[in-house]
Amino acid sequence: MTKNQRLVYIALLAAQAVIISLLERAIPFPFAVAPGAKLGLANIITCMALYTLSTKDACKVVAIRLVLAALLGGTISTFMYSASGAILSFIGMWSVKRLGPSRVSLIGVSTTGAILHNVGQLAVASWIAQTWTVLLYLPVLSFVGILSGIAIGIAANYLLTHVEKLHYYKFLHELD
Amino acid sequence: MKKYYNMVKRWDIILIILLVLLSLLPYVIFSMQQAQNVSADSSRVAVISIDNEEVERVTLTGNEGTDVFDIQESGSHINTVEVHDDRIRMKSATCSDQVCVRTGYISKPGETIVCLPHKVIIEIQTENDDTDDLIISS
Repeated sequence: MTKNQRLVYIALLAAQAVIISLLERAIPFPFAVAPGAKLGLANIITCMALYTLSTKDACKVVAIRLVLAALLGGTISTFMYSASGAILSFIGMWSVKRLGPSRVSLIGVSTTGAILHNVGQLAVASWIAQTWTVLLYLPVLSFVGILSGIAIGIAANYLLTHVEKLHYYKFLHELD
Repeated sequence: MKKYYNMVKRWDIILIILLVLLSLLPYVIFSMQQAQNVSADSSRVAVISIDNEEVERVTLTGNEGTDVFDIQESGSHINTVEVHDDRIRMKSATCSDQVCVRTGYISKPGETIVCLPHKVIIEIQTENDDTDDLIISS
């Protein structure tokens, strides 16, 4: 990939992630059992970035997405929640991916991301509320997180193998 | 369907099991802690606080009937709390996400209703009525 191609690719991924998270905000409420749970569709883009870009560039995609999504209809507090969740889940996904493609697939990576996102958000919530009993809500959220993580892992896997350009970028990424 | 089975690697399953255990950890710690300090004469109390300051305390054990009151911090931030017998819920709120209203009734120790936009928290705590801590040993 040339430098310009990479820049455009990063920008495209970030733009898609922003649009997906905005669209997701418009979906009213898919889970009646777990208030506050989300599908986490933007996780697809983070998976994509991890598998096709270097760590530094994947970080850039996540950071751009966070700031833009917060500017386009978030508040300081929602930014704090999504930032802590995203940072924690990015670190987790990155280290899980280091296990290597023969051991762990996209399903494991995206599920880790989904649950650690919940952990990060609830940690900030319990810090703000000054009571750690908020963390007791974690099992309910991670149940939804596991289901949506598996679904998103399958979707991301499908995209990476069937969209030709992504497949090619993944191949290039694995060469370095 | 077979295609999806091949997609799952061994570490995926190990990771998912580990993460499930991790998410159950706070619950286990809490119930161990709870088992230590619950005695027969302890009662359940709902503590309502705004921005970490306690504003209201409702004893739930033995409570009967329905009681509805408003928690108002400033201006348009209104949370309506309903206590029904020994359960408590957020009946309505003027917040943006309505997560607190959807949580529904809570009654067990450790359960919380959190309204993050208004920083309102309802937490169920146990309170011991015994007077052990008044004994001063010299």
